[in-house]
Amino acid sequence: MDEIIYMNLESSPSFLLFIFFGTVTVVTALSVIFQKNPVVSAVSLVFTFFALAGIYGIMGALFIATMQVLVYAGAIMVLVVFVLMLLSQRAETLSRYRKHPIRLVLLSVFVFGFFFLLYSALTTGVPHSDQMGKGYELTEYSFPIQGTSTVNAKGNVGVVGASTYLDYLLPFEMISILLLVAVLGAVILAKKKSTEVEQTKDNVL
Amino acid sequence: MNPIINGIPVSYILGLAGILFSIGVLGVLIRRNIVIIFMSVELILNSVNLVFVTFSKALSHISGETVVFFVMAIAAAEAAVGLALVIAIFRHKKSTNVDELQSMKW
Repeated sequence: MDEIIYMNLESSPSFLLFIFFGTVTVVTALSVIFQKNPVVSAVSLVFTFFALAGIYGIMGALFIATMQVLVYAGAIMVLVVFVLMLLSQRAETLSRYRKHPIRLVLLSVFVFGFFFLLYSALTTGVPHSDQMGKGYELTEYSFPIQGTSTVNAKGNVGVVGASTYLDYLLPFEMISILLLVAVLGAVILAKKKSTEVEQTKDNVL
Repeated sequence: MNPIINGIPVSYILGLAGILFSIGVLGVLIRRNIVIIFMSVELILNSVNLVFVTFSKALSHISGETVVFFVMAIAAAEAAVGLALVIAIFRHKKSTNVDELQSMKW
């Protein structure tokens, strides 16, 4: 076990990428909970989500990586930042260390390393692209209820989609009902009561 | 069970997920801003997603990734309802500090 891991430490570029994305994940997650300014926390959380999407991509879960970027780093973070702006949180000690030299050096090292990794990944291609990742070899999805039917599903997205719509059809429909209820509940909760509006109008007039 | 996924040992990924979960729990415990507590809950959900994907790949079974899709949908619903609650509480109390929300204490 140790020999195998040691071999992979030397040979595998995806392990190096995992170390990079894991470090970014931990550092930005710590930044989320230790920053005083909530907007800086939200931006750090976006970086955490992107780094996690990178880890999913290395592991071969391409559908999950895409959904991570779309749902978490896109939709949910837009909601969070919108609410932060709506509540007008005050910024505490925002600009005190902005021009600190150590911070500039760390930032430039980070940016340089990121672009170096990006460049090397682009020039060498996707790591281990000659091997099939785990989950890719499952190109026929067997559906247990009708024993004879098998679905040809190629690639990660196809297999996940076949599993969603064949094995998990009832949870999928329930999720859609739950999202509808959640949206209605959010509108009702965030709406001002009509009596409040009338009262304020009367007070103003 | 395959102990290595694409050159990454499974134990390392599980360790990363554990660290992420601990950071999320720490954020829930030490922060008083309700929006940052909400973000820490998102961190906890993400660490669980990482564990699901890891075991899905290690066991060569696709169900874990499907469950992650459902977890993401639940997290989106939770974000909508939770942030609407935050807005309602802020309108009522003029504050987002959870220490000042004491009206249910007796």
